Amino acid sequence: MAAGGAVAAAPECRLLPYALHKWSSFSSTYLPENILVDKPNDQSSRWSSESNYPPQYLILKLERPAIVQNITFGKYEKTHVCNLKKFKVFGGMNEENMTELLSSGLKNDYNKETFTLKHKIDEQMFPCRFIKIVPLLSWGPSFNFSIWYVELSGIDDPDVVQPCLNWYSKYREQEAIRLCLKHFRQHNYTEAFESLQKKTKIALEHPMLTDLHDKLVLKGDFDACEELIEKAVNDGLFNQYISQQEYKPRWSQIIPKSTKGDGEDNRPGMRGGHQMVIDVQTETVYLFGGWDGTQDLADFWAYSVKENQWTCISRDTEKESGPSARSCHKMCIDIQRRQIYTLGRYLDSSVRNSKSLKSDFYRYDIDTNTWMLLSEDTAADGGPKLVFDHQMCMDSEKHMIYTFGGRILTCNGSVDDSRASEPQFSGLFAFNCQCQTWKLLREDSCNAGPEDIQSRIGHCMLFHSKNRCLYVFGGQRSKTYLNDFFSYDVDSDHVDIISDGTKKDSGMVPMTGFTQRATIDPELNEIHVLSGLSKDKEKREENVRNSFWIYDIVRNSWSCVYKNDQAAKDNPSKSLQEEEPCPRFAHQLVYDELHKVHYLFGGNPGKSCSPKMRLDDFWSLKLCRPSKDYLLRHCKYLIRKHRFEEKAQMDPLSALKYLQNDLYITVDHSDPEETKEFQLLASALFKSGSDFTALGFSDVDHTYAQRTQLFDTLVNFFPDSMTPPKGNLVDLITL
Amino acid sequence: MSAGSRGFRERRVCVLRCRFCAQVLSARGMKAVLLADTDVDLFSTDIPPTDAVDFIGRCYFTEICKCKLKDIACLKCGNIVGYHVIVPCCSCLLSCNNGHFWMFHSQAVYDINRLDSTGTNFLLWGNLPEIEENTDEDMLDVSAEECIR
Repeated sequence: MAAGGAVAAAPECRLLPYALHKWSSFSSTYLPENILVDKPNDQSSRWSSESNYPPQYLILKLERPAIVQNITFGKYEKTHVCNLKKFKVFGGMNEENMTELLSSGLKNDYNKETFTLKHKIDEQMFPCRFIKIVPLLSWGPSFNFSIWYVELSGIDDPDVVQPCLNWYSKYREQEAIRLCLKHFRQHNYTEAFESLQKKTKIALEHPMLTDLHDKLVLKGDFDACEELIEKAVNDGLFNQYISQQEYKPRWSQIIPKSTKGDGEDNRPGMRGGHQMVIDVQTETVYLFGGWDGTQDLADFWAYSVKENQWTCISRDTEKESGPSARSCHKMCIDIQRRQIYTLGRYLDSSVRNSKSLKSDFYRYDIDTNTWMLLSEDTAADGGPKLVFDHQMCMDSEKHMIYTFGGRILTCNGSVDDSRASEPQFSGLFAFNCQCQTWKLLREDSCNAGPEDIQSRIGHCMLFHSKNRCLYVFGGQRSKTYLNDFFSYDVDSDHVDIISDGTKKDSGMVPMTGFTQRATIDPELNEIHVLSGLSKDKEKREENVRNSFWIYDIVRNSWSCVYKNDQAAKDNPSKSLQEEEPCPRFAHQLVYDELHKVHYLFGGNPGKSCSPKMRLDDFWSLKLCRPSKDYLLRHCKYLIRKHRFEEKAQMDPLSALKYLQNDLYITVDHSDPEETKEFQLLASALFKSGSDFTALGFSDVDHTYAQRTQLFDTLVNFFPDSMTPPKGNLVDLITL
Repeated sequence: MSAGSRGFRERRVCVLRCRFCAQVLSARGMKAVLLADTDVDLFSTDIPPTDAVDFIGRCYFTEICKCKLKDIACLKCGNIVGYHVIVPCCSCLLSCNNGHFWMFHSQAVYDINRLDSTGTNFLLWGNLPEIEENTDEDMLDVSAEECIR
């Protein structure tokens, strides 16, 4: 037995010998067997697939079953386009039943890389005999896949592996018996069921669910079932189900109250490039400035959610010692001290030479309704130069402001230096509000050091008040779209790269270049991202609608709440507009994390036929998951619906009464879908005979079959650890 | 850019195959010599071999001349087989050249002479039909202003 040399993790971990068992293809002399040999300076010492059309794979067979803990990939001495940017590794005791052990990618360099493979289920190690490597993407997407060298390491000591093998077969047998028990019970083979259960002493499910089955399927005691479900909901047993449900977005357009007798506008006019902040304590949305298609604006508004009304705080803040008209500035709010800050602005090339390029910095005090100029030029104070399309966040707790990115405005044509035409981006700065001092935390850097960050525009930056980190993702540098994602701990001054943007699962993260707006919920540990229009004119013609994503910070995973691809007409019909706001640029999205509502205002719809057009619509967005009460009502509805159908067979008159009373109260009559379904139920009173029997229940009476189906439905709301196996024995049979 | 003795029409047309994996890279190759350093042998072709190769890496300049170059690699085996002249420099343009912008290193390919329709004589460049080239239209830039306000 060869002494191990691969990984020093556990003393028993050694190199596992293997042979090539199967492969999808290979090209020319790049045989699969070449991965057994590590010759980094020989370009032919590799396996290369024939093409990059899926499926491509290599199946390795271990000499003997082992716990496979690590896989090591060797490389070529130089970078190579055929290296695997994305791949998956599967393993199992036989080829048909393999589990995913790893999903990752290789760096395109010349260093060996080792990865840990999944080798435990709930702390129990499981053995593998076969390992399947599935390349998914190479570093040059049009090139074939190549693997230069593979090493597997783990434990193959029979003293360790044999007990795992025993556990594995025992586990399989146990699951098979549970499937049999489920099958016997579904078909009412009571004797067989009891006999098997007595002999094996294996539990099909949690006793509570056995009780539910007894009450529902065997006895038809529906009242007791409802009680049982109600207790389960109140004990929190449905919480796991709820947390796995997807959010449903509910947009609704806000039509504010208009103040009577007011000649002037009583709500903000159309604009893009404005700024909004929200005071969650008083439920007030503040809006300042923007561009109306022709000029910069300087009006300042407050919207009260409770009153559903806009109030104009100031028609022209410049007249009140506040900032001049501007767009593409950034605002942040200090809710504790009730102050709003604004920094930056955009000047187009025609005015860039005439107006001063000083970066002024203002603060507004809500209670005294006064503006204060904090700095005439933050650059002179050690802070950022005049920027636009940057990001700014407030840390109320430590009374600090962080600003990152944005493009620095310079006057053109004054210097005959080709370098001046290259855009410059601003770094990461911190402003100490107490001392009114600036500090440069990170310069714009294209180096790939662990603490280096690249500046950009159009990115998202959010401050998590509980874990005290800034989260930054996306953005653009000149023509390059960035899709990295990193966090910056403000207290330890440390950058943590969550994703460097290379191992991206396309389709599984929000796409870059779509003018994203993001908000954060520190309590739920979620980041919400709404994408707008594509910056690419060609993509815009493809009629793309909004998409909404949620990033779970703890689980480090993105999920898409919705992704509409409906066609957007040039003249959007009223009904479409009522459902959700049209995709746009330069809009504003704020989030009330106390009440869990988003607010969106205005923006630029990007209509090439009317480039000066801007929007002034105001929307609220609620993300809804089913609540406990909803689920309880839903379960009661299901139970009573079934009861009604049973009654309808035997005593239609009493069934009708039941429908009108008991079943009626479980329906939400303001929901059109539920109402429609309820109304159709009455037709069951007039049906004679039964409809198609459910597949797999041909030998049981109809009532028993229907009750079993209801049982299976109710069981889904319980956690997996309590339920019978999800599959059915009959489904394993194929024609 | 490549050059050779006058009369490119007398040159033989060859099939170029990747030396690593034997994949056909081009059926319209010409043996030539590097303009900027006439000691360097190479092969060149006129139409882009888009089915057989693809770009890798970034654009670069060599010390010899100011032509802007980018490497190309064989799509089958991924090894670098040559380079493409993205922007030629003035001095190369003004010199006598064969007008080809796709080059293959002589160590990365091997050549096989093609025969003409008689099957007995070598096919020469003078007898090879020309193919119209398409020029790509420049992509129009999206106005950056539109995206921010």
